[in-house]
Amino acid sequence: MAFRFPKTKEPHPDQGAFYLLLLTVTPVLAPHVGRVPAWLSLAVATFIVWRYLITRHGWHAPPMWLRTGLTFLIAFGVVTHYGTILGRDAGVGLLFALLGLKFLELRRVRDHVVVLLMCYLLILGQLLYSQSLASGGYMVALTLLTTAAMVRLQHPGRIDGWQGLRFAGGLIAKALPLMLIVYLFFPRLQGGLWAFTADTAGATGFSDVLRPGSINQLVENDAVAFRVRFDGAVPPPEQRYWRGLTLATTDGKVWRRGVDVAQGWRLSGAGPALGYTVTLEPNHRVWLFTLDLPIEVDPPATPRTGYVIQRAKPVHERTRYRAVSITRYNTGPLAADARAHNLHLPGAVSPRVASLAARWQSAARTPQDIVQSALGYFREQEFYYTLQPPLLGRDPVDEFLFDTRRGFCEHYASAFATLMRAAGVPSRVVLGYQGGELNPAGDYMIVRQADAHAWAEVWLAGQGWRRVDPTGAVAPERIEHGIDGVRRLLRRGVRLGDGDARRIELGWLEQAWRQARLSWDLVNHNWNQAVMAFGPEAQEALMRVLGFRAPSWVHLAIVMAFAALLMGLLVAGLVLYQPRARDPVRALYARYCAKLARIGLRRNPAEGPRDFAQRAVAARPNLSDQVERITEIYIGLRYGGDDAGRLRELRENVRAFRPS
Amino acid sequence: MRGPISAPTITLRRPQLYMLPTRYGLWFTAILGAILLAAVNYNNGLAYMFTFLLGAMAVVSMLYTHRNVSRLRLTPGPCAPVFAGETASAGVWLHNDSDKPRYAVSVIHAHREVARVDLAPHAKVRVDIPIKTTQRGWLPATRFYVTSRFPLGLLFTWSREMGLPLRGVVYPSPGPPRPFTLTPDRRRYQEVGHQTEGDDFAGLRDYRRGDSPRHVHWKAVARGQGMYTKEFSGAGQDTLWLDWDALPELATEARLAQLCRWAIDAEREELRFGLNLPGVALPADRGERHRHQCLKALALYGLEARASEAAMG
Repeated sequence: MAFRFPKTKEPHPDQGAFYLLLLTVTPVLAPHVGRVPAWLSLAVATFIVWRYLITRHGWHAPPMWLRTGLTFLIAFGVVTHYGTILGRDAGVGLLFALLGLKFLELRRVRDHVVVLLMCYLLILGQLLYSQSLASGGYMVALTLLTTAAMVRLQHPGRIDGWQGLRFAGGLIAKALPLMLIVYLFFPRLQGGLWAFTADTAGATGFSDVLRPGSINQLVENDAVAFRVRFDGAVPPPEQRYWRGLTLATTDGKVWRRGVDVAQGWRLSGAGPALGYTVTLEPNHRVWLFTLDLPIEVDPPATPRTGYVIQRAKPVHERTRYRAVSITRYNTGPLAADARAHNLHLPGAVSPRVASLAARWQSAARTPQDIVQSALGYFREQEFYYTLQPPLLGRDPVDEFLFDTRRGFCEHYASAFATLMRAAGVPSRVVLGYQGGELNPAGDYMIVRQADAHAWAEVWLAGQGWRRVDPTGAVAPERIEHGIDGVRRLLRRGVRLGDGDARRIELGWLEQAWRQARLSWDLVNHNWNQAVMAFGPEAQEALMRVLGFRAPSWVHLAIVMAFAALLMGLLVAGLVLYQPRARDPVRALYARYCAKLARIGLRRNPAEGPRDFAQRAVAARPNLSDQVERITEIYIGLRYGGDDAGRLRELRENVRAFRPS
Repeated sequence: MRGPISAPTITLRRPQLYMLPTRYGLWFTAILGAILLAAVNYNNGLAYMFTFLLGAMAVVSMLYTHRNVSRLRLTPGPCAPVFAGETASAGVWLHNDSDKPRYAVSVIHAHREVARVDLAPHAKVRVDIPIKTTQRGWLPATRFYVTSRFPLGLLFTWSREMGLPLRGVVYPSPGPPRPFTLTPDRRRYQEVGHQTEGDDFAGLRDYRRGDSPRHVHWKAVARGQGMYTKEFSGAGQDTLWLDWDALPELATEARLAQLCRWAIDAEREELRFGLNLPGVALPADRGERHRHQCLKALALYGLEARASEAAMG
C-alpha cells in the first residue's frame, strides 16, 4: 500500500504571521533599493503598504485583473530596463519586483512560503554585491529572521515570534559547525561558469582615459582599492607610487592608452628588490597595481608597454597576487618609434604653451634642466592644489597653465607631460595610486580609492624613464601625508605648498577615530582572507596541512563527506540525546507493578491504579494495606503535584513491598 | 507499508517512523540549488557559506522533526460506549516522556487530521478519535498514526499505523419500540404503579449513580447524613426479566436489538430488571451501571472469546 499524504487543513496565517513577514521582508529588500530602478522601488513600496492596509484597516485586496496587469507591466519594465533577465543585476531586479507582487496577494500559507523562499534568494542577492563582514552579519541576521517567520508560520497561535526566533537561533547554532566543514572542504571551481557582461556595466573603477576632472569622484571615495603586505620593510611615503597604467597618446586634451603591446622588460639598476602581496578589491579592470617598477608578478600576468601588468580577465572578485619591485632602476635606451610616439603632440598647442616650452628648451643644456624649469615654474607661479578645480574649456592645458591655475594631480600631470613633449622631452602620464595607510596592528598597508593619483614620466638619456610628480612641486604634502592629510589641511584653510605642515597634527578625537577605523579594517581584512580569498589554492594548502601530498578535488570530497558525517552524528547526538532519567514517580509505580506481576497480578494497560488496586486486594486480601497505601501516595503525587516528602514515602513503601 | 503496530502501549522509535520532504521542502531544495549555482558562478565565498548554512539548517531541522515524534508514548484512553451506528470517540493518550516539548503533533485517522496537539515536557494529552461504528461488540482497534512537520514545514514525518486495543463497547443498535413480552414460566413482572406504597421497606444502602431519585432517602440528605437509597423487597417489587427465550421468532441480531431496546426502556421507566441470555444471566437490579452491564452482555453476546483474544494480543 502506497503512502498517501493525509488531508490536513493548512490553517490560514494569522495577523502575527503577517506582521513577522513584514518585519522580515523590509530589511531583505532594503539594501537593493538603491540598485533597482527608482520606479520599481516605489512600486514595491506601494504594494507593501497596500497589503499592510488590507490587514490593518481592511482595505480591499486588488482584483485579479489588476494584479495580472501589474505583473505584466512590471515584468515588461524590468526586462526593458535591464535588457535581460540573466545575471546578478537583472536577477535581483526581477526578484525584487516578484517579491513585491507576491506580497500584495498574500493570503494562504503557500503565499507566505513563496515570499519567504524569495527572501532567501534576495539575501543571496546582497551577498553577490558585497562579501564584507557586515554582509556576513546581515546574512546571519536575516536568515534568522526569515527562518523564524517560517517556524511561526507553521504553527500559528502556538508559537509566537520570539519563540520562532529562539527555534531558528537553535537551528542556526547547530547548523554552523556543519556549515563550516562543508565550507572548508566543498571542492571549489577555479573561475565561474558563465560571465554576465551586463553586470560589469556602470561599475565605478579606474578609468583608462584621462580627461581633466575624471578622477574627481575617486577623490571622494574612501573605499579600499587594495591592501598590501610587505615581506620586509615598508618603503617610505615618497616611494609609495602604485603604478597602474601609462597613457602615451594624447590629442592635446585627452590622454589615452595608445600603443599597447605585450612586451617584457629587463631593468638595470642598483635598487634592492621589494617583495609584497597585494589583495586587490574587484575593480572590473584588467590592470594590476604594483610598486614602481615591477619585475615579477605571481600568478603570472602579461607585461605590457609602459611597464604595466595586464591580467587576462577583468578583476571581478577579490584577487591576490605577489609581486617584486625595485624602486631605483634604469630602463635603458628608448627605441626610435617609441620615442616618436612619446613626443607626438597632434594639433597645435596654444602659442602661449609653445613659447613657454621653447623658452625652457633654449635655456636648458640638458633635458634634465627642462624638467627642473617646469617644476620650478609650478612651484614659483601662483598654482594652487585644490580638490574642487574650476571646469576647463576647449584647450584645457592652456587654460590651466595661464588662467585658472587650480587643480589636482591629473591637471598637473597632463599639463606637465604636454609641456615636456612641446619642449622635445619624451613623456607620458601614469595612472595609479600614491600613498597608503599602514595598519600597525595588522602589519599591512591599505590603499584607498581616494589615493588615486596621476603623475608623469620623462625619458632621459642615460637614465631611462624617470618618474616626475609635478603635484609634489605644488603640494609636497600630497606626497608626504597622502590625500588624507591634504584634505585635513584644506579643511583647515591651509594653503598647500607653504610648508606649514605642523597643522596636520591630529586631534585626539581624530586619532581615536583613525585607530578605530584601522582596527575595523584589520577585522575586515582577516574576514576577507577567510571568506573571499578562500579558493582552490587555500583549500590545497589546508589539505597539505592535513597530510595530503597531492590533493585533488576527490580528496576534498572524501574528507568533506567523512567530516560532515562525523559532525552530523555529533549534532544528531546533541539534538536527540535524552537522559535515561525517567519520571521517578512513574518508575517507582512501575516497580510496584512489576512486583505484583511476579505473583500473577498483571496490570491492564487501560486499568487505572485504583481499579488495579481493587482487583489486587480482591485477589490477595492480605496485601490490602500496602497496596492501598502505595496507590494512594502514587495518585496523590501523580495528580496532586510534586512533593519530595511524599516521593520518599512512596520509595520506602515500594521498597518494603514484598508480595508473596 | 507494513500492517499496524498493535500493542497495549506503543513507544514510537526509529523503525516505526518515516520521513519525506514536503512540497515546500522540494521548493526549498530547488532554491538551495540556485543559490549554490550562483555561488559557484560568481565564485562568491559568502554565497557558498549561505548555501551551506541553509543546507545544514535543513539537515538539523530533520533531526528536530524526528525528535518531535520519536519516543512519543501512546496508550489507550477512555472510550464511552455507544450504540452501533453512532460515532464512538476513542480516546488515545499521547505521553511526552522527554524533557523537551513537542509541537504540533498531528493524529491522523482515516487520512484525516483528527487533532494537532502540543505536549509540554512530561505531559500527556488526550485525543479523541471519532470512529463510525457499524456493528455491536468490542470497538475495533482504532487505526491511526501521528505526523509532524515541525519546525520548518520542509519535512514531513509520520509513524507506522497503530492499533491500540481500546476497551470500548458498541451496544447493539436498539430495535423498534415494542411492549415487553414475558415468558410464561417467569411471570414475575407486575404492572407499574405498586412500586412504592405497598412494598416492604427492606433497608438503606449507599447511593449509587443511576439510582432513581424516588428511592433516595431525602430526609437523610436534608440532615446532612449523605445519600442513601431505600431498598424494597417482597412480592410487590416490580422485577422485569428480559429474556432471550421471549422472542423466539427473531433472528439472533434482531433479538439482541430488541432486548437492547427493552433494557433502555426498562431503565428509563426505572424498573428493576434482569437479563437472561443463553449462558449469561444478570440478576435483577436497576440503575445506570446495571443497564451498562446488560447492554454490554448483549453487545458481546457470542463474541466474548474473540474479544478476550484481541485483548491479549
